[in-house]
Amino acid sequence: MTDMTSTHPGAADLHTDTALHEGAEEKRLGLWLTLPAQLLVLFIALFPILMQIYISLTDWSPLDGIPWYRAYELWIGLLNYADLASDPRFWSALWRTCIVMAICVPVQFLLGLGLAILFVDDFRGKRVLYSTILVPMMVVPAVAGYMFFMLFQSGGPVNDILSMFAGRPVTIAWLSDPDLALFATIVSDIWQWTPLMFLILLAGMVSVPQDQQMAAVLLGASWTRRFFTIVLPRMKTIIIIAVAIRVIENFKVFDNFYIMTGGGPGVATETISIYIYKVTQQELIWGYVAAIALAILIVLSIVSALAIKKLRGAQQ
Amino acid sequence: MQRTLSFEIFRYTAIFAFLALSLIPTIWMISMAFKPIAEWQASGADLTWWPNNPTLDNFRFIFGDSGSDLIVALERTAGRPILASLLSASFGTLIAMTAGTAAAYGLSRFGAGGNLPLALIQLRIFPPMAVMIPVMIMWAFLGLIDTWVGLALIYGIVTMPFSFWLMKTFFDDMPREIEDAALVEGCSRWRVFIKITLPMMRPALASSALFVFILNWSDYLIALLLTTRDWVTIPVYMASLSSSMTGQLYGAKAALGLIAAVPPVIMGIAIQKQLVRGLTFGALKE
Repeated sequence: MTDMTSTHPGAADLHTDTALHEGAEEKRLGLWLTLPAQLLVLFIALFPILMQIYISLTDWSPLDGIPWYRAYELWIGLLNYADLASDPRFWSALWRTCIVMAICVPVQFLLGLGLAILFVDDFRGKRVLYSTILVPMMVVPAVAGYMFFMLFQSGGPVNDILSMFAGRPVTIAWLSDPDLALFATIVSDIWQWTPLMFLILLAGMVSVPQDQQMAAVLLGASWTRRFFTIVLPRMKTIIIIAVAIRVIENFKVFDNFYIMTGGGPGVATETISIYIYKVTQQELIWGYVAAIALAILIVLSIVSALAIKKLRGAQQ
Repeated sequence: MQRTLSFEIFRYTAIFAFLALSLIPTIWMISMAFKPIAEWQASGADLTWWPNNPTLDNFRFIFGDSGSDLIVALERTAGRPILASLLSASFGTLIAMTAGTAAAYGLSRFGAGGNLPLALIQLRIFPPMAVMIPVMIMWAFLGLIDTWVGLALIYGIVTMPFSFWLMKTFFDDMPREIEDAALVEGCSRWRVFIKITLPMMRPALASSALFVFILNWSDYLIALLLTTRDWVTIPVYMASLSSSMTGQLYGAKAALGLIAAVPPVIMGIAIQKQLVRGLTFGALKE
C-alpha cells in the first residue's frame, strides 16, 4: 500500500534498508507518532461498526424511550435485512444513484479531457483561465445546491435564457417535474465537478513524457493518432484514479441534491444518502437504518479492497 | 498539438464558451446578493441580470439590521453560524493535521502503522451517512451534540485521510541528508522532527492545512445531523432563511452564500499547485 503513490522506483528498497538499522528509539517514536491516528481510526471504525451490527438486529428507535444498549429487548434477528431485500424505495434509490453516476462521470470525464487537451501547451492567458475554470469545484457544495435552486425556479434565469432563444416566455417548473428535477440536479453535479476531472486529467497529461511524442511527430503521425496511441494509454492509471474518485463521491452525493429538491418531487431525486437521511431523521427507525448502512459498508469494503488491489497491480 | 491560427481561435472560443456557462451560477449569486428586495423578488419578465440599484441591505439583514425593507426580523443572525463554521472547521483542521502529520512521519521514516494507508482510504470511501447512527449515539453519550467541539472532532477524523496522505507524500519526497546530519551531531530523533523536519515542511504543512480546511468548511451533511440550534454551521443555517411566512429570502441566502463561498475559493486558488496531490491522495504530484 505504501508504494502505491511512490514515484521513485528505489523508495521501497530504501525503506527496508533503513528499517534494518532502526534502533529501539526509532521504533518507539514511530509507534507514538502513529498512535493518535490509530486511536482516531479505532474510535470511528471499531466501536461504531460493532454498535451498528448490534442495533441492526433489533427494531430499536430513539423514540422507544430505552437506551440503545438495551435494544436487545427489541431483538428481531435478521428481519431488518429481509426487509431491506424487499424494500422498493431502497433499491430505487440505489438504482437512481447509479444512473446519476452513469451520466455524471462520463460527461465530466469527456468535458474535463477536452478542456485538458486545450490547456496542455502554453498560450496567452493560460494561468488566469485555468484558475477561473477551477472556481466551481471550490464553491461549498451546499451553496452550489442553493445557486442551482435559484437558477431553476420557474421564473428564474434558466427559463429567462430559454425565453430569449424561444422568443416567448418559458415557464418550465424544473424542480417539480420528476424527470426535469433529476436533470437539474445532475447539471449541478456536472457543473461543480467537471473542473476536478479537468484538473487531474491535465496534470496527468502534462506528465506524459515528451520523447515518444516527438519521435512520432518526426515520423509524421497525426495529432489524433499520437493522442490515442501514446498519450491516452500512458494516462491509464490517472484516468482510473480520476474516474474512481468521482464514482466514490457520486455514490455519496447528498448536499446539492438535498438542497435543490429535498429528494423530491416524491422520490424522483432521492439518492441513497438522501434515502438514509430521511429514514434516519424523519421515520426514525434506526435499527433499519443500521442494517442499510451496514449492508452498504460491507459491499463498499469488498469493492474498494478489490479495486485498490487491482490499481496497485496496474501501477507496478 | 499543431499551433495554427485556426486552432488558436478554436481554443479560445471553446474555453470562453465553457467559462461563460460555468460562471453563470456564480455570477447570478453575486448579483442576487447585491440586489434590493424588489429586484431579487422579481421573476419572469421582470428579471434583471445585474442589480440596477446595488445595495448592501442583504448583508445588513443577515447580521440583524432590520432597517431593510423586509418586515421580518431574523430570530437568529448569521454571526453565530459563521463563528460555528470557523471554529469547527479550524479545530477540525488542527486535529486532522496533528494526527495526520505525526502518523505520516511515523510511517514515512520508521515504517510504523503500516495499516493506516489502506484504513484511511477506506474511511474516505465510506459515505458518512453510513456510519452516522453510531456516531450520533456516541456523540449524544459524550454530550457533543450541538457543540462546535463535537463537530471539530468528527471533522478532524473525516479529513485525516487527506492530511495523512498529503503529508506522507511530502515526507517521502523530502531528502533525508539534513535529518541524518543532525542525527550525527547527536540530536535525538524527536528533536530532529520538531526542530528540523517540521520547520522545513512549513509550506507543505500550510497548503495541506488549507486543503483540509476547505473540506471541513464545505461540509453540510454532518453538521445537519450533529447540530440542532446553537452551533449550526453556515449551510445548515442557510435553510432557516426561508419560511412559510416570508418565502425564500433569495437575497439574504445569496449574501450568506457569497460569504461562505469566498474563503474556500481564495484558499483553493492559493494552493492550486497542491490541489491535484491532495485530491488524488498523492498519487499524482504536479
